[in-house]
Amino acid sequence: MNAIKIPKPGHVNEATQTDLSQTDLSKIELSQTVGNIYADNAKMSIRNADIYYGDKQAIDNISLDLAKNQVTALIGPSGCGKSTFLRSLNRMNDTIDICKITGQFTLDGEDIYAKNLDPVLLRARVGMVFQKPNPFPKSIYENVAYGARIHGLTNNKAELDEIVETSLQKAGLFNEVKDRLNDPGTGLSGGQQQRLCIARTIAVSPEVILMDEPASALDPIATAIIEELIDELKEKYTIAIVTHSMQQAARVSQHTAYFHMGKLVEMGKTEDIFTRPSHKLTENYITGRFG
Amino acid sequence: MTNTTTESTDTPSGFTKNLHLNKHISRRFNEELEQVRTLVMEMGALVEQQVNDGLTAVLNADTKLAVKVIERDHEVNTMELEIDEYCTQILARRQPAASDLRLIVSVLKSITDLERMGDESVKFGRNAIKLAKGNFAEEEGSRPLVELRHLGKHVSETLNKALTAYAQMDVEAALEIIKNDNIVDEEFDNISRLLVTKMMENPREIKNALRVTWCARALERISDHTTNLCEYIIYLVEGKDVRHATIEQIKASMSN
Amino acid sequence: MTKHNITKSKKNLPVKESNSTTFSTTERVSLGLKKRHRKEKRFKRVGLSAVLFGFLLVVILLGDITSKALPAFHQHWVKLDVNYQASWLDISESSSLGLKNEALTEQLNKANYRNVLRKSLYEMFPEVSGRKDKRSLTKLLSSNAEFTLKDNLLASPQLFDKKTQVWVRLDDDVDSYLKEEFAEGEAGLRINQNQAQWLAKLTSSENVESRFNISFFTSSDSREPELAGIKGALMGTLLTMFVTLLLSFPLGVAGALYLEEFAPKNRLTDFIEININNLAAVPSIVFGLLGLAVIINLFGLPRSAPLVGGIVLTLMTLPTIIIASRAAIKAVPPSIREAATGLGASKMQVTFSHVLPQAMPGIITGAIIGVAQALGETAPLLMIGMVAFIVDVPTSIVDSATVLPVQIFLWADSPERAFLAKTSAAILVLLTLLLIINLTATMLRSKFEKR
Repeated sequence: MNAIKIPKPGHVNEATQTDLSQTDLSKIELSQTVGNIYADNAKMSIRNADIYYGDKQAIDNISLDLAKNQVTALIGPSGCGKSTFLRSLNRMNDTIDICKITGQFTLDGEDIYAKNLDPVLLRARVGMVFQKPNPFPKSIYENVAYGARIHGLTNNKAELDEIVETSLQKAGLFNEVKDRLNDPGTGLSGGQQQRLCIARTIAVSPEVILMDEPASALDPIATAIIEELIDELKEKYTIAIVTHSMQQAARVSQHTAYFHMGKLVEMGKTEDIFTRPSHKLTENYITGRFG
Repeated sequence: MTNTTTESTDTPSGFTKNLHLNKHISRRFNEELEQVRTLVMEMGALVEQQVNDGLTAVLNADTKLAVKVIERDHEVNTMELEIDEYCTQILARRQPAASDLRLIVSVLKSITDLERMGDESVKFGRNAIKLAKGNFAEEEGSRPLVELRHLGKHVSETLNKALTAYAQMDVEAALEIIKNDNIVDEEFDNISRLLVTKMMENPREIKNALRVTWCARALERISDHTTNLCEYIIYLVEGKDVRHATIEQIKASMSN
Repeated sequence: MTKHNITKSKKNLPVKESNSTTFSTTERVSLGLKKRHRKEKRFKRVGLSAVLFGFLLVVILLGDITSKALPAFHQHWVKLDVNYQASWLDISESSSLGLKNEALTEQLNKANYRNVLRKSLYEMFPEVSGRKDKRSLTKLLSSNAEFTLKDNLLASPQLFDKKTQVWVRLDDDVDSYLKEEFAEGEAGLRINQNQAQWLAKLTSSENVESRFNISFFTSSDSREPELAGIKGALMGTLLTMFVTLLLSFPLGVAGALYLEEFAPKNRLTDFIEININNLAAVPSIVFGLLGLAVIINLFGLPRSAPLVGGIVLTLMTLPTIIIASRAAIKAVPPSIREAATGLGASKMQVTFSHVLPQAMPGIITGAIIGVAQALGETAPLLMIGMVAFIVDVPTSIVDSATVLPVQIFLWADSPERAFLAKTSAAILVLLTLLLIINLTATMLRSKFEKR
């Protein structure tokens, strides 16, 4: 996987001109992504990524950029590899023995799979929020303070307090929990728990936040709050979000990538993907058609 | 879009085929979209009927037909409201995206234009009644009416083509109609000039001449609405907004 | 289901109707419903009776043991009129008068208390004559009685050469006889007519008293049932359990954590896993043999010591703790691990600050089950010599000791009648110990779960 050509930003793939009406679905050639995978200001760049679980290929030759300070949504049917791909961005797949990853993954031009790069350091820079709210069975304070503590980000208690407070504030949770910081985090409501998890991630001051279906277990109100939060967070962080809800992708993201059976079918601006997708498979997926 | 005709043999209509309206996982959604389409086509047919009848009433000084046209306008209005409501329901319940969204948006816009065409037809009816009272048709089997008939025929045919294109999602046909929009403008200018001359020659006929001008004006408006319909077809099929663009710009954007 | 069907079936409830195809769903379901409910009720009854049966057995067992054990908790003492006469004590009167206190104490230590005891006893029963009768009279008292006299005199030397009254233990046979409520003066098991009459005399003059048997808890094993206690065995058990817990808990938890969290999944770890599971099924006596061969003979550690017993029981407990701990660790939701890993925690941090605390309740339960098993274990300890007759209470893990179950085994094997009650009492103590351990476990568990 050496000598990958990274074309100039702004270049548009040839395959954009796929004609919707004449496409025979069985003959769709998926090897090439439709649309624009490049960002002017890429925080992370992935080129020719292949991910295998044992003999099974989960991700097939995917290349894309995550634009800095923007939200990139990864959508696609279940089992299309979007979560696998997301997890490869902070090497969460390292813990799985049979998982094999090739390709070039860069964060600010730095190879994140380089031998001399400690995944612990990477995960401090690329945080992750999971599908199910998973606060530690500890107090709210401890939940937020944990990351800062293990990385030794603070010198004294006052600094730690400061980090906990600002993180909770950024996650829009501070006012709700300020009087019960010592209560267990698991006692909060689902939406609050998820915001606690986001606060916990923010507390480490990452550059990129990966979100794996962060609102799928929440009710619409909690979902709306999380979405609003994502919108605010993008001012400071680069965000990649996997979601099953097309509406959510449409609401929160600036770029959308459609995955299908381990391949990146189409990527482009969200406004285009949801009104005029170029690829028949994308169209079928977002309009609820069977292909 | 040459394949449209060949493909339409195995499916009921090109409309359905092109947008794969019958391929939703939700069969109910298929039916709803199909229903919207049917309603729009019905409304289109009704409006076309109104335009033709109105025109005939003017040209033949047929008061009876004119009254009928005026009375039937509320049907057009009712249909607009009905389709409007239907589309709102689909938007609220289905949150359509991509081609489905474009379909609903284009339908919402199309029915406004169709309703306006219906209003223009009412103008035909009113003027027909007044013209019949003024014995305009009898006095002058004259050039203005010939010209009006000519323009009317062209506009009516264009509207028919546009509705067919709408039914078949025929982008080529729609583009053709947009391209020929200026023909109607020229014809309208001709009639206006003719009538101004008439009015100067014979001031007694100013009233009637003005009425004919208004009819011509109505035809010109109908033509504009027809062009709009064609623009919606392009938006619906290609996802490109071609309003307020020159034909060259449209073609350039579509080949992109 | 058509309307026709409904109306038709409503008219004649079709239990045996020939064309059953016209039955509606409701009817079909309701036909089978009674049967289903009956089945459910039957199963409930069977389950309940099984539970009740088990409960009944436990109650019977406990009741039996308790009723048998009760006599062991009290014993009979007799009040003797004792004359600490110098001549009886074999201390010459002349020398004693001039002696200082220390010298006197030394003399008293060496004195002949058996003589004092016998003479005092004969004085109380002047009618007894003849060697045979006199011997059976002395047999009424515990062989320990002379030491009671000695202790009494040493505690208050001013009684020297004076008369006093001292309570001494009765012999175990007499004790049993008194507990069994024979008619006054009636001969009983190992008690002849004469002895019975003497006892009747003592009882009627209120010189016999039943007291709480404190020595059962404060003394060690003895050949004499009225003197035997469980303190030695209890201490042995506690020391052994201490060693077992100290070794098996950290080893087991470390092993489980390594296997679950760190070990690569390959043939070697599979092999280890299978063998740990097999180890749990190995008969415990094999561990005893191993302890004998390796720990005592090869490493030369002292025989009969709680240290060795603890090591052997550790071998036996370890698989239980590892298996239970692994299950507890496995049950920790992976989302917690992911959350910590996603924040950049290292493997160690994830394991020790999240996985272990979460798994702790389960691990503790496993450890307690293991220790409870070890607590009741006899066989392996027999092999390493913890079955010896040990009178001293062990004070360190290298002293010779025995444990409660072995003590029970030994007593159950003894011919003396009074040991029957002792055996039951020791079982009760063992059960109480188990109960205490389990309660502690429950408390610890709930404490960890709260966190």
